[in-house]
Amino acid sequence: MSTLTISQPAQSSRIGADRRPSLARLTAVELRKMVDTRSGFWVLIGIGAVTLISALIEAVHDRGREGTYINVFHVASQPSAYLLPVLGVLLICGEWTQRTTLTTFTLVPERHRVISAKVLASLLVSGGALVLTLLGAVVLAALFGHAPGGAGTLPVAVIAQGWLHLAIWMLIGLSFGAAVLVSAPAIVAYLLAPIVFAAIVNAIHSLATPAKWLDVANATAPLTLRALSATEWAQVGTTLALWLGVPLLIGLGRVRGGDIN
Amino acid sequence: MIEAQSLTKRYGGQAAVQDVSFGCLPGTITGFLGPNGAGKSTTMKMLCGLAEPSSGRATILGAPFRELPNPGRRIGVLIDASAQHSGRRGAEVLGLSAQLMGVDRRRVDQMLELVGLDQAAARKRVGQYSLGMRQRLGIAHALLGDPQVLILDEPANGLDPEGMRWMRELLRDFAQRGGTVLLSSHLLREVEAIADRVVVIARGRIVAQGTARELLSDVPRTAVRAAGGYEAADRLRHAIQQASIAVREEPDGLLLVDADPDEIGYTALQAGIPLQELRLAQDGASLEELFFQLTADDHKESR
Repeated sequence: MSTLTISQPAQSSRIGADRRPSLARLTAVELRKMVDTRSGFWVLIGIGAVTLISALIEAVHDRGREGTYINVFHVASQPSAYLLPVLGVLLICGEWTQRTTLTTFTLVPERHRVISAKVLASLLVSGGALVLTLLGAVVLAALFGHAPGGAGTLPVAVIAQGWLHLAIWMLIGLSFGAAVLVSAPAIVAYLLAPIVFAAIVNAIHSLATPAKWLDVANATAPLTLRALSATEWAQVGTTLALWLGVPLLIGLGRVRGGDIN
Repeated sequence: MIEAQSLTKRYGGQAAVQDVSFGCLPGTITGFLGPNGAGKSTTMKMLCGLAEPSSGRATILGAPFRELPNPGRRIGVLIDASAQHSGRRGAEVLGLSAQLMGVDRRRVDQMLELVGLDQAAARKRVGQYSLGMRQRLGIAHALLGDPQVLILDEPANGLDPEGMRWMRELLRDFAQRGGTVLLSSHLLREVEAIADRVVVIARGRIVAQGTARELLSDVPRTAVRAAGGYEAADRLRHAIQQASIAVREEPDGLLLVDADPDEIGYTALQAGIPLQELRLAQDGASLEELFFQLTADDHKESR
């Protein structure tokens, strides 16, 4: 406790007082929130570690086979593809669970802008995960992969699709988080819903064709393996409308309209 | 400057807050007083855009909260000091908001110093904080954007007596600089010690508002006790009622009367009733008396 005054005399302290924080600033804040808590920090470290370990195992194991780069890249991107959606869920639900929404939404009353910042932050984090995956795959495949024709190639299209793959899944997690707003049920819903859905449509013979347009796991699986055909892109589009678009719209409605407790 | 106009909040058919109107002026501290569950937090959330009113409207500094471009720089809000991520360090909580609001990083250290959280405390994770430390961090957070208005929900909760005195001085200083303060409490003594004006809420409705002096003008002015037990008390009450003066009997035979002591003394003399006690009722406890009177239904309810 000191005699320090509350209001600093300099008028300069009022600069920016009536300027809306930019989306870039909100995104930077969201990124900071991901790493400035103990749990958030270790989740990211964990994702990085598992990515490198799986790349190493695949690179050593795949020695002497074809297309080493692509195989290692495909395998190394799997941990992120499974764990980033969980991070996406927590990015939204963490605020509700820890009740930091009270602070967040008094500082940014236009709640959809917070969600936009979280979407942008997810794109950047999945980009970071891609860079790590790529580095791990290239370095480890070059060190350990001695296929007869070299380590093969890794087309730029597949790298770009790899980023899209991670971004899509992280955003699906985020959308489920927004729709459910409670961590555990949101994670369960995100994990189970596509699986149960796929199991049902695949079991029913007459749904085999529509299933290709609705099963998101199936539609996005080839993204890290090969450049997609036009039909495959269309299938990615329709499955995303269902698995990303619908929960995101529900979530936006809940976040924008609901009372914060 | 805060203005609530007929704020109403219904959950289902039940009104949690009904037709609440009041105003807070620059340079003053307004105490928002009511028992737990009376609708204080819901009202404050409606002021801050966290809850949508079913009807009515609220403005702060002339605009609805949600229309302020960077509200943290104009209005400091503390709704619940415990609502912080337990894994985040104290200084980081402020650092994060400073970045968001575009406030100089140095202000974080200044505010930590102001609320008496030292370097060691600032480095701790909020999960390890006591309730008092969380309140201090919350107040530092509310002041971070150098606001003109403060809205604080139960800010004294968890503070020790020394901390309460510190907060009182801090808010007094803030108001003297032209700031507007609205703070809620369920504890009368807190509000009595800090606030210039009091708004009393019970069961979602405003039951009284004004300065402490204004509120007390409706309160029994005199306490009188007849010598000779309950029988004498009955006779005295009867005599006072015959003089068309409002009177209320306490369980222990003390009568609370809406008249001056000399008038009651004269009434007792005329009726020939000896008195054991005759004094002004308006001592420090009388606002408390009023508070219990106004919120009596709630207290019965919670028993």
